[in-house]
Amino acid sequence: MSELEKSSDNIYSLNRNEDNNEMIVKPKKDFFIKGVLIFGCLFFLFSLYELNIDYSNLLEGTVAFFIMLGDMFPPNISEWAYVLPAAIESLQVAILGTVIAVVISLVLAFLAAENLAPNKWVARIVKSFATLMRVIPTIIWALIFIVAVGLGPLPGVLAIAVHSLGMLIKVFAQSVEEMDGGKIEALKASGAGSVQIIAQGVIPTVLTALMAWTILRLEIDIGESTILGLVGAGGIGWELMRAMRSYDFNTALFITMVIFVMIFSVEMLSNRLKLKV
Amino acid sequence: MHNKGKRVMELEEIRDIRQRKRVQTILITLLVVGLTIWSALGTDFSVYEVFSGLGLISNFVFIDLLPPDVSTSGSLLGAILETLYMGFVGMVVGAMIALVLSFLAAGTTTPHPIIQVVVRAFTSIIRNIPGLIWALILVASYGIGVTVGTLSLILGSVGFLTRVFADTLEEIDTGKIEALNATGSSYLQVLAQGVFPQFIPGFVAWSLYNLELNIRASTIIGMVGGGGIGFAIQKGIKLFQYKEVSMAIILVLVLILSTEFLTSKIRERII
Repeated sequence: MSELEKSSDNIYSLNRNEDNNEMIVKPKKDFFIKGVLIFGCLFFLFSLYELNIDYSNLLEGTVAFFIMLGDMFPPNISEWAYVLPAAIESLQVAILGTVIAVVISLVLAFLAAENLAPNKWVARIVKSFATLMRVIPTIIWALIFIVAVGLGPLPGVLAIAVHSLGMLIKVFAQSVEEMDGGKIEALKASGAGSVQIIAQGVIPTVLTALMAWTILRLEIDIGESTILGLVGAGGIGWELMRAMRSYDFNTALFITMVIFVMIFSVEMLSNRLKLKV
Repeated sequence: MHNKGKRVMELEEIRDIRQRKRVQTILITLLVVGLTIWSALGTDFSVYEVFSGLGLISNFVFIDLLPPDVSTSGSLLGAILETLYMGFVGMVVGAMIALVLSFLAAGTTTPHPIIQVVVRAFTSIIRNIPGLIWALILVASYGIGVTVGTLSLILGSVGFLTRVFADTLEEIDTGKIEALNATGSSYLQVLAQGVFPQFIPGFVAWSLYNLELNIRASTIIGMVGGGGIGFAIQKGIKLFQYKEVSMAIILVLVLILSTEFLTSKIRERII
């Protein structure tokens, strides 16, 4: 009897504790969200004020925008003989850049993962390099490479490879770090070298994650390769820039539609692949 | 006897599956290699050119770009703040519009299936045309300046956020909604009492992620005339002021890393 009472007492106090916890935690969380929202509102007003947008121009521009949209129809497909090869070139730039990034990141990710790196400093140095490559946008890389190697698809390939490399090293290293340490230890204990550990223990475990990231990256890169042409790095973006510059809006619409179809079909395809994996 | 036969069958099945998997792996590898070679040929890629370009690239980076010209940081600071403001305004306005659209686009909350399809198609068009191209089109009608940058970021945010908000809305627990419907609540009451409380954390987290995307995007939208730091970078390259460009790139780095840090901290606290 006394035991039962005790246990029920326990349960009661446990519940009470939980209630108390919730009562303490919840208002705090709400308070935090409210604080963030209020700060967000204030900063929004401040930003609007600082941007100093000309609202009369906004109205005029919107009218001009819709007139231009009207002018764009119907799309002019007569230049398809230039546009389609350029679209394929964009696709090739994206594929090649991604493949190069994947191959290099497969080596560097193992140096960047803290559970596999020869020592901590190597991991840190590789990781900060990766951050530098990842944070600078692809199009700025393209500008840098254009100055160095000239116009054409090559700076595009290099820009995509470098920027993707930064992201892939980060996420690959993360998936390697997340894996179960027991496997590596078991291989180490049986006298495997580091290459054997990677080939037998690490790669089979993280392969699915690597594939998923690679597909995601290819999807992003195809989107980015379509705009690289805007700065002169080849592909369909260049054709669009040319059409817009010469006020050939009907051709511009056709090119925009091609870009839309490219990115949209890649999105569909990768959704289906994701379902399969 | 019977068991043994079954085991042999199982073994054969396993061998079959293995063989099929091996064939699959080989086919996928061949496909990837083929695509890579096709791409390399199409883009005239040559390893020789890359390596001979390495000297030029390192010359450019170490002699022309570095060291960054710190004295220009005063004028660049205005540009980088403009980039931050554009990204933030784009996120807030985009999130407000996406909030309305996502309620129309989510299967659980849409008033009518036809509205759902229309909104989804509309946002898919917005989303699948890159922000830089929107900026290019908008420049033609609004002229160069921050208006274009802000508007194209709003468009990008609407496209992205409507999709993820709608996905979040479709994942929420529908029991509550059914209960509210059963007690005779109106559509607005269901939204306010059943849907909104579950939706808030996702709403804030995705909006913060969108802020990160916007700040990345707004650094480049300036290149086609959207204002901000992108414009400064483009100008610096055209005028061969590379030391100013590297200073601008450093500011971009600082801005992106600090936003990433801040948003991840806020996200941790909320979820």
